[in-house]
Amino acid sequence: MPLLKKNFSVLPGFGPALGFTVAYLGFVVLIPLGALAWKSFDLGWGEFLHAAFSARALASYRVSFGCALIAAVINLPMGLLIAWALVRYKFPGRRIVDALVDLPFALPTAVAGISLTTLYAPNGWLGVPLAKIGIQVAYTPIGITLAMIFIGLPFVVRNVQPVLEELDPDMEEAAASLGASRFTTIRKIVFPIALPSLLTGFSLAFARAVGEYGSIVFIAGNMPMKTEIAPLLIITELEQYNYAAATSIGMVMLAFSFVALLSINLTQWWARRQNGDT
Amino acid sequence: MATRDFTLAQREPNWVKWLVISFALGWIILVVVLPLILIFAQAFEEGGKEYLQSVFSSDTLGAFKRTAIIALIVVPLNTVFGLTAAWSIAKFDFRGKNLLLTLIDIPFSVSPVISGLVFVLLFGAQGYFGDWLFDHDIQIIFAIPGIVLATLFVTFPFVARELIPAMQAQGTEEEQAALSLGASGLQTFFKVTLPNARWALMYGILLCTARAIGEFGAVSVVSGHIRGETDTLPLHVEILYNEYNFAAAFSAATILAGFGLVSLVAKRYMEYKIRKSLAKTGV
Amino acid sequence: MSIEVKNVSKRFNKFTALDHVNLEVASGELLALLGPSGSGKTTLLRVLAGLESADEGRIFLNGEDATEDHVRERRVGFVFQHYALFRHMTIFDNIAFGLRVKEKKLRPSETEIARRVNELLELIQLNWVADRFPHQLSGGQRQRVALARALAVQPRVLLLDEPFGALDAKVRQELRTWLRRLHDELHITSVFVTHDQEEALEVSDRIVILDKGRIVQVGSPAEVYHQAISPFVYEFIGPANRIQGKLLLDAILSADHVQDARGLVGSENLVGYVRPYDFHISASPVANGGFRATLDQVRPLGQQVTLLLQVDGYEPGLRVQIPFREWQGLGLTEKSDAWVNARHIQLFAGNDLKSLESAQSWHGPGAGI
Repeated sequence: MPLLKKNFSVLPGFGPALGFTVAYLGFVVLIPLGALAWKSFDLGWGEFLHAAFSARALASYRVSFGCALIAAVINLPMGLLIAWALVRYKFPGRRIVDALVDLPFALPTAVAGISLTTLYAPNGWLGVPLAKIGIQVAYTPIGITLAMIFIGLPFVVRNVQPVLEELDPDMEEAAASLGASRFTTIRKIVFPIALPSLLTGFSLAFARAVGEYGSIVFIAGNMPMKTEIAPLLIITELEQYNYAAATSIGMVMLAFSFVALLSINLTQWWARRQNGDT
Repeated sequence: MATRDFTLAQREPNWVKWLVISFALGWIILVVVLPLILIFAQAFEEGGKEYLQSVFSSDTLGAFKRTAIIALIVVPLNTVFGLTAAWSIAKFDFRGKNLLLTLIDIPFSVSPVISGLVFVLLFGAQGYFGDWLFDHDIQIIFAIPGIVLATLFVTFPFVARELIPAMQAQGTEEEQAALSLGASGLQTFFKVTLPNARWALMYGILLCTARAIGEFGAVSVVSGHIRGETDTLPLHVEILYNEYNFAAAFSAATILAGFGLVSLVAKRYMEYKIRKSLAKTGV
Repeated sequence: MSIEVKNVSKRFNKFTALDHVNLEVASGELLALLGPSGSGKTTLLRVLAGLESADEGRIFLNGEDATEDHVRERRVGFVFQHYALFRHMTIFDNIAFGLRVKEKKLRPSETEIARRVNELLELIQLNWVADRFPHQLSGGQRQRVALARALAVQPRVLLLDEPFGALDAKVRQELRTWLRRLHDELHITSVFVTHDQEEALEVSDRIVILDKGRIVQVGSPAEVYHQAISPFVYEFIGPANRIQGKLLLDAILSADHVQDARGLVGSENLVGYVRPYDFHISASPVANGGFRATLDQVRPLGQQVTLLLQVDGYEPGLRVQIPFREWQGLGLTEKSDAWVNARHIQLFAGNDLKSLESAQSWHGPGAGI
């Protein structure tokens, strides 16, 4: 295999294993995605742009990206807080909390969707007190954002946790011995080290929320131009056989996914370099 | 994950500490615990008997059966993929390895709706193969095969993602030792490599299964929501909910939530096992 | 079973690990591959095993060309530096592994396997760990198990990769002796890699010294120690004082014995080596004109005393070791003068000095270790 870096490997089976891996990857993932890209090209530039950036599409991007951004921004400090508490403090129920952080990830999206909706509906457990202070959550962008907060929670926590766990106490001790207050130490020493992981978590939460469907579509209300998320718009167009529109908007979302994936990889690479182990 | 004993220099004043803990706890309760409890509360709102009737109704059971069949097809396929991918990536060094890893991660970062869309574009009535399929009277979209494909796409990386780091951490020395003792490649794989990675493998399979069972967005696109024929359990939950049949919807939802909780417990158990086995390796 | 290595070369990208290596290993001998890191000794061992492939050259096992044979066909027993025991199997299963993976026709029955495993456990004196797991054993025990596992399939040759490298000093000592005794009992051709010259000298029948992918010297421990072929070997194999220039002339004149098989005295670039314990110290000028030195530091170390001497005009200084009794008899202290002559000087010159570069890069300039 000219592909192998070492020109000989004593372990057998490289050829068949890699061959099958690539073939399977091609059939299951690459060809279907290729179909989407190909279909977009088929449309021609004009029609593509017209469909991808129609008023309704643009509104859906505003909703999806806008709410996802806000949700990720909120998840950032809260996620850091939770990670800090889990790593640095002992308190009753810590292990349960640690396990629960993964729940939004483990719970099927439709289940999360109906649960959140029922929770914040005008007659829901939280909907009632919120209504009393005049805030309506269900079927508004606020609801969408809350659902996105739910989904994004594990991403920030799980990315920051390992970094905090592996933090060398020496540095904090050195700072303290040099007279820095606790707050300064955290601000100038711990935070910069945790920054790449925070960014990674943020990007992951953001990217996830933009593409999410099941958890959001129930609470969203789905009014075109107002509370319609992009994934839903794609489905609606499909149901009306507007393949062109569905493809174009889908392509926009796919492009976004790739950009997100790329930037996350870059952030992680930067993080590794910062820690000196590339 | 045990908390280390943090040194004196690493401690905040007590009031800060308890403030942070309260915020963290409060947030978790608000964001995660409440919705979780609500699922079960709503499911049992009309009493235990009603709950059981809902869960075992023919519609729900049918949806469950379909979901199970799909999982039984999808999970073994993606497991085989995960094993071959992990073997080639973890035990060999080759150009393009990082690219391959990134490609494998793609379904993970793509919206589930896109995951369904791509198959409609391939096999739908106006899709690339639409006419060919129609001529041969094969139904993929709006039928089980379509759901299988979409689920295959969405759960594609799960087993591989767990196996690869685990097998990488094992190194290749035990395999070399086995070969030097006369074992064949397959013998080495089944007697040495797999047993060492068994916890990661099991967890990967569990995650894959949980996602296969719970997938909603992608399946929504390809299934057509035809009750009794193409609705999976999550779709079934949606149908019930949209009919305002809340108790039934949440009852079905508890089955799915149950799987989710099981995978949470399994994750902690597996992490514990992996930590233990890493401790065993000590030189 | 004999081994023959013919003109073997191996490169890793731009790095040449083995450079046209030729070697013959006699049947039943215990051979050490010795050298600094990067010398190619581990690569050579792995090429012998079939765990690496050679870019050039052939390997013959018992007269048959085995170069194309895969590791599992070569019937070599390989012992890894970090044992590579199967962590999820009991010790018993580890040792039995090689027997159990044989093809049906050749596979012994379970009773026969049990018998053999127990025999081996007896041999390594670890009958009682059969049901334990590797992580429950100490490093030294694991290494013995690794050896037993390799022996179970009755290999034609035993290859050991720094077998005691990961163990602490006392255990290393014990296992060295144990390995030698085992070899005397079993008579399997064995090749082991080490960077510890003491180990090589103590255990092996013959030593092969490698540097930068080439074989520098092959010989019995005595030959390699007393008749080093180059400064590199001399400095590698034991503690050394390197003397040059005017001091060397004085030393030669006053030495009891000068090893100079090639008549190098008088050549340019003459270099002389003396072992620390090959000096004679006296409190007063010696009859045959030893040279004068000042005692810079005195370090008593149990039975021996190490003296660091400074000689006028010779920067590096000398490192000398004499028995404690002798030191007591001298009545000298730090900073006092002493008269020194060498009992035995080994001379090198000219081309030999090329190997000095290796020696220097390995040791750093200056006198002994």
